[in-house]
Amino acid sequence: MAASAVVPRRRPWALWLVVLGGLGLITWRMLYLHGVNEAFNAAFFAGAVVRSLQLGSLYALIALGYTMVYGIIRLINFAHGEVFMVGAFAAYFLFSRTPFSWPVALLVAAAIAFGVLQFLNFWRGRARDPIVLAGALVVFAVVAFALASTQLGWFWAMVASMFVTGVLGMTIDRVAYRPLRGAPRNSMLITAIAVSFFLQNFGILAFSNRQTPFRPASFFTGPLQFQVFGEPLFTSWMIVLVPSVTAVLVVALTLFVTRTRLGKAMRATAQDAETARMMGVNVDRVIATTFLLGSMLAAAAGVLWGMTFGSINQPAIFGILPGIKAFAAAVIGGIGSLPGAVVGGVLLGFLENFLTALFPRTEYFSGITEYKDTFAFLAMIVILLVRPSGIVGEDLSEKV
Amino acid sequence: MTGAGRGAAASGEHAPSASPSDAARREPLLELKGVTTHYGPIRVLRDVNMVIYPGEMVCLLGGNASGKSTTLKTVLGIVGVSQGELWFRGERADGLPTSERIARGMAVVPENRRIFPKMTVRENLEMGAYLRKPGAEFDEDLAYVLELFPRLGERLGQLGGTMSGGEQQMLAMGRALMSRPKLILMDEPSMGLAPLFVERIFEIIKQVNSRGISVFVVEQNANVALAIADRGYVLQTGEVVLSGPAGELLANEGMKRAYLGET
Repeated sequence: MAASAVVPRRRPWALWLVVLGGLGLITWRMLYLHGVNEAFNAAFFAGAVVRSLQLGSLYALIALGYTMVYGIIRLINFAHGEVFMVGAFAAYFLFSRTPFSWPVALLVAAAIAFGVLQFLNFWRGRARDPIVLAGALVVFAVVAFALASTQLGWFWAMVASMFVTGVLGMTIDRVAYRPLRGAPRNSMLITAIAVSFFLQNFGILAFSNRQTPFRPASFFTGPLQFQVFGEPLFTSWMIVLVPSVTAVLVVALTLFVTRTRLGKAMRATAQDAETARMMGVNVDRVIATTFLLGSMLAAAAGVLWGMTFGSINQPAIFGILPGIKAFAAAVIGGIGSLPGAVVGGVLLGFLENFLTALFPRTEYFSGITEYKDTFAFLAMIVILLVRPSGIVGEDLSEKV
Repeated sequence: MTGAGRGAAASGEHAPSASPSDAARREPLLELKGVTTHYGPIRVLRDVNMVIYPGEMVCLLGGNASGKSTTLKTVLGIVGVSQGELWFRGERADGLPTSERIARGMAVVPENRRIFPKMTVRENLEMGAYLRKPGAEFDEDLAYVLELFPRLGERLGQLGGTMSGGEQQMLAMGRALMSRPKLILMDEPSMGLAPLFVERIFEIIKQVNSRGISVFVVEQNANVALAIADRGYVLQTGEVVLSGPAGELLANEGMKRAYLGET
């Protein structure tokens, strides 16, 4: 019976040839540019590399949320970009001197307390448990107070925002997606778009629709200068902070998914939800946890994004572009795959920053910086045509 | 006479009702009382009555789309009961979620194995013990499963999806055993396996059953199943049309014609 034909691997050297050829072309292009203009020196390209890595890390963090949710319920969660936006704004109100107005704080706290209630109910397994109710009340009080009065440093603001946003993600799942579990997939997709619109408008109401400076007092937003082959490179400590925080979070997520019981249940559910249920896995709890983790990562990305660029856009549009670009990153890496999201995110960062550095504005050429957003979607289209399962993803054939 | 006597299967010699052996005096492990289920507006099972006593091996026979798999899914709580009652270990179970039923001692070997393809053999077995605390008992059960299926022991680190169909069947059975179940539900364990393998699988099922674990097995392969089962039920378009001790079902004329491939 075990006579399954072994599929021959298609030319393993071809990939290496492409990679090496690409690196060769890039080197040649860099040397050529350097020959044209002294300004395109090693520091210029090194700056492009670190900024690529920085932006790529941010995309990777957001893309993980898309890929986790897709992996587990096959939903492209279009509201994820808005979750990212809320994460950034929540942190903003926690570290800035302009706190929430009391009514908004109460409203947000009520929403969060509802989420906590749901979460604790999952864990204790009983509805309307007095301990759960008490817990939710305490959370409500603490959050309302914190939102209205506290001022935190960037780190604690980020941690608090991750918690708040994570609960928001869970609440979205509970309110908008869970009632549709058995429904056709398109219904959920449309609901996701509706949630996205809702959050955009909620953002306008709660945060006011204007571009917001995002400058927590922090060592990391300060300048950093170092030498690359004798040439000075001026940048900020954020180029160190962003990839580091991303690495820590990705490692933590990987450990969670591979080592813990709930993480294993999560993988099992992604592979075969019905069978996971037959093993006794509470699938709804696993899905809620997925939304919690994905939204926490998005919140971290939101905070780091704000610190990197020094401001965050209006709530109505802030989440849109990073959101769909991270979605493109998830598709490029292979949606449903965790390493794929990281690879896709970093790759997209390089496509945007490094590629534009290779074709800079010169006397005769206007440069391609203005088209950099196009590359994300062009890359996604190419990947979908050439290798629909993405770079890391294996098979897209779905079990029915 | 059991069953309603409808259809070809029951039109021949009628089987007498399940013999009141010593089993009947015990508390039933699993009992379906007049269970009716629906998929949306479509009725799948109608007024199904079944009993499984502790330590018994019962097989459920029937053609395609007769409701065999649905019966298992109803017992597990994947499909809801729209009428009737389900009792498990002396407790009303039809309102319980699947995970609670598993926690109370059910385990399943699903149709087509349904192992987790991208998890290792060991992780698959761990998923079987998901609702139990890891510890000494886990190692004990793992040792038992590996003794039953030495093949799995050689492949603990291998991904489930890379194994052959027979090995996957072993893994699915081992996974079910890891929860120390009182009742194992099996959906077509012989499907897609070579005849030699089918025999081995059923040998192992019998071995498991002899340790006091009740087995409820859905099979198309009636001959093999009835050869080792204590009792059987025959389903047709969602209704029980025949039931009785395995030996009597094997001898039943209608059964022979409809399911056993004899003339």
